[in-house]
Amino acid sequence: MCSACGFPATEGHWSEAGAADAHQRLRARFIRARKLNEVLRNYGLSAYDDGQTPGIQIADRTGQVILARDLGEVWIAAEKLVGKAIDPLDPRFMAR
Amino acid sequence: MSLTPANRIRLKILSGFLGSGKTTWLRHQLHEGALRGRVVIVNEAAAAAIDDALLADLARVIVIPGGCICCTRQAEFLAALRRHCDQARPPDIVLETSGLAEPARIVEAIRADPVLVHHMVIDDVLVTVDAVHARASLQSDPLVRRQLVSADRLLITKLDQLEEADVACLIATLRSINPGAQVTGTIRGEDARLPDHAGAEAFELPALAGQSEKPVVAADIAIDPAMGWEVFSLWLSALLHARGDEIFRIKGVVRTPAGRVLLQCVQKSVLPPEILPETQAGGGDFDNRVAFIGRGFDQSSLQRSITEFAADKT
Repeated sequence: MCSACGFPATEGHWSEAGAADAHQRLRARFIRARKLNEVLRNYGLSAYDDGQTPGIQIADRTGQVILARDLGEVWIAAEKLVGKAIDPLDPRFMAR
Repeated sequence: MSLTPANRIRLKILSGFLGSGKTTWLRHQLHEGALRGRVVIVNEAAAAAIDDALLADLARVIVIPGGCICCTRQAEFLAALRRHCDQARPPDIVLETSGLAEPARIVEAIRADPVLVHHMVIDDVLVTVDAVHARASLQSDPLVRRQLVSADRLLITKLDQLEEADVACLIATLRSINPGAQVTGTIRGEDARLPDHAGAEAFELPALAGQSEKPVVAADIAIDPAMGWEVFSLWLSALLHARGDEIFRIKGVVRTPAGRVLLQCVQKSVLPPEILPETQAGGGDFDNRVAFIGRGFDQSSLQRSITEFAADKT
């Protein structure tokens, strides 16, 4: 349990399988946050992960923020803020 | 999370419609010693367990009768698996589902269980297909089609009771429903040769209530090593969220900083990934290739999406 935010320790999202140690886990978080921002800006959203606070913050331009515990929750949060699921096969997903 | 395959209990799921030959096949395999040492869990929709009596001489059998473990008897099934995990050295398991079970729901229940997800690894999903009755049941019953799409291997049973030309059409039909599954044949549990089905036409299958008419496709996607697991898993998590209902199966090996990760999804459930040893025979040939089976996408749309996603845009 994180004493700052009350998140209980989770059993681990499947995506964490690719990191063998804390350094790799941290590196993965930063890579994903950068990539997430590339995609989410096409939908007026942004992602923030400082590498220390558990979870990823997903925000829209009105200031609404949802804290997502893992990658599964990231897309649920984004769908809630945008109003529909963000689909990787939609051209908007890849727009520059 | 323990990710090594060595200390987990392996589970083989044997499913298939009522009377399609699950127990016959399993009895023969146990008799031949192919599944030596495994405990057999048998689930029967009926209250009276008959399969138990057929298998009891050949293996240790745990019976869960009186309902299907993917729905009404799910809690009892999960409790039985947990008790099994509590043993000092629990043996691997073969699960024979009831004829009404949906294998994908069983996989999902195990994955969602906080204890079992760490203790079990699913070997594969076998689904028996009755050569005599498959055509009629495929045309009328959505459950039969849902069972088929979850399979890694389809076993056509009672092969001797159908003309070769009709078997060829059945194979073509099965391939159109689940292009990724291996198809084999059996007669009373023994392996049997399948006829050549090149050029055979699949049966016309009517759209059933709640079933999409989009064709099922199998796509083999190459993962650029430069993309990395971090970016690939981000893309896949988005795909599963947006398209999970149209994905039946995902399977592949992806190289990561932690080693070779075996990635498997049954519908939108991702099974706990396994780290594979580096030195498996023939290992490496299929690394960074992932097979996707489902509807609503094709090879080029998936490959384009993943390639564009991997490109650096900053």
